[in-house]
Amino acid sequence: MRNLMVAAIVALAAASVAAQGQPAAKGTYKVSRTPDGQPDLQGYWTNLTYTPYERPKELASKPFYTEREAVEAFNKAVAESQNQVVHYVNSDFGATPVQTGAQPNLRTSLVIDPPDGRIPPLTAEAQKREASRAAAERGGPLARTWRDDRGTVWCVFHDRVVPSVVAPYGSNYHIVQSKDHVVMTYEWNSEHRVIPLDGRPHGTVPSYIGDSRGRWEGDTLVVETTNFTPKRTFLGSPGMPGAVSMTPTFKLMERFTRTADDTIVHTYTVEDPASWTRPWTVEMPMHRIKGPMLEYACNENNVDAFTTLRNARAQEAGKLPPPDRVRNVDDPKATVIQREQKGDGAEK
Amino acid sequence: MRGAAVAAIVLAAALVAAFPRAGEGQAYRAPRTASGQPDLNGVWQALNTANWDLEAHEAAAGPVLQLGAAYAVPPGPGVVVDGPIPYKPDALAMKKKYAANALREDTEVKCYLPGVPRMMYMPYPVQVVQSVSTIMMMSEFANAIRTIYMNSTTPPPADTWMGWSNGRWDGETLVIDSKGFMGSTVGALDEEGAVHVRFFDRAGNYHTEGLHVVERIRRTGPDHLSYQATIEDPNVYTRPWMISMPLYRRVEPNIQLGEFRCEEFVGDLLFGKYQRK
Repeated sequence: MRNLMVAAIVALAAASVAAQGQPAAKGTYKVSRTPDGQPDLQGYWTNLTYTPYERPKELASKPFYTEREAVEAFNKAVAESQNQVVHYVNSDFGATPVQTGAQPNLRTSLVIDPPDGRIPPLTAEAQKREASRAAAERGGPLARTWRDDRGTVWCVFHDRVVPSVVAPYGSNYHIVQSKDHVVMTYEWNSEHRVIPLDGRPHGTVPSYIGDSRGRWEGDTLVVETTNFTPKRTFLGSPGMPGAVSMTPTFKLMERFTRTADDTIVHTYTVEDPASWTRPWTVEMPMHRIKGPMLEYACNENNVDAFTTLRNARAQEAGKLPPPDRVRNVDDPKATVIQREQKGDGAEK
Repeated sequence: MRGAAVAAIVLAAALVAAFPRAGEGQAYRAPRTASGQPDLNGVWQALNTANWDLEAHEAAAGPVLQLGAAYAVPPGPGVVVDGPIPYKPDALAMKKKYAANALREDTEVKCYLPGVPRMMYMPYPVQVVQSVSTIMMMSEFANAIRTIYMNSTTPPPADTWMGWSNGRWDGETLVIDSKGFMGSTVGALDEEGAVHVRFFDRAGNYHTEGLHVVERIRRTGPDHLSYQATIEDPNVYTRPWMISMPLYRRVEPNIQLGEFRCEEFVGDLLFGKYQRK
């Protein structure tokens, strides 16, 4: 809860529900420069979106909406997201994508290559590997240790960043540039990376967030990231395709291009021959928002983790009934017993 | 008795800090960034025993018998300029109590964000990335970050572990005014996670949510910073007091902050009693 409240303060940059701000025509915008003469990407940005990561099958041959369709799809998604029955009503915290600054997207999916907008298949070996990993991780319904629930009680690393994927709220960025470095801070878990621009080779020590090296190609910041620790996975958060291990051959190539005062187009290509049959590419527009972005203290007296584990032990001992089930993306058939918080539009 | 000796040692330390070697010091003019500010970019680190004890201290046994000499306390002349730290009498009694219970109360043990000024002198590198409007300072410890809002007078929007920092240039010197610090755990449910105050060091020197820090940072040479912090907290001290030390550039060409996600190493410590074996 504490985490959500901090996130909510950050997300005060409220945008109106009315769709506005179409992407500027490419090639006409002249990006401003830092005192060092580099394209200026600095400020606060969000990549929160209602666009699905993979393209829905019914839109397989339709990579783009018309402007009108894009606005309609956006408004429909906003309306649907208001109709949630969850323990936390994100809109009460001003934290939903539309409240934070999400914009309509002409694209019908974030995956833009392969052309059908879907992640390519895993290789046969990767399928076996992921099946056995998933089987090994599958525990009972109750968390045994702090390692078991990476969604809420695990403060080691927030895995929706590098590579970026879709989040329900809090996918906000703060970019600061010096001559030789770009710092990108992400709101969840205050994840950040310091990207050297000085041409140094990659390091050799694996890490959760990877080892990034940047360079300017014209007005585009190109960032190559390798050396992700095999302790982590990619994807797999709620609403995303299943988790895939990050192997030593995983390589991420990102491009950040400011195409308007209020837009950075961020594309990335994922390549790992040990997992996928071909490289694939995602485009996630970043929209300008108001700062500041406050600290995300996660491990500092992690009440969520204490409560989750203590209640799990109490349930095992028969001293506590299981909690009310709530509807969420993982559990569409669950029966809603009780609404815990205010929020209009639910249970109609 | 001990006080006088300590004061003498501290004064000596302060004099050494105030008079760096020839060619460096107050007359040094820092290289400039493209926008004309003194250039503090780089990876810096303290080389002293401040994180063990800000005040002058003898060597001592470590808190865990089995770790022997590896985690014993190295001696140090202290970094408090006009020490000892001017505790109110009751606060001094509390300090002794916290010191005796440091394994439980010190946020470093729990991998909590270290706060200010502690982040600056922990035995981990600190990277500075400087733009005109914002200066980022990042520690390897717990992936802690500070955002310095330049020429801002915005008050802290909320209390946080690293506080809210407004900065300005005073000639060669970066002056940072920080407030809005979390003083203890809020809504603490469990003693293993709870801390009652914030430690400046492993010796139990502490502050509360009343902390106000004014730092003065300037280049004294190509590879040195002078770091001073004035510390105020009317809940704990009778007057403001100051620490002073050099910070040294990490000159390795491949230096970069490593990823010390210490949360990974404290989960079993914090939550162990609620885990199923």
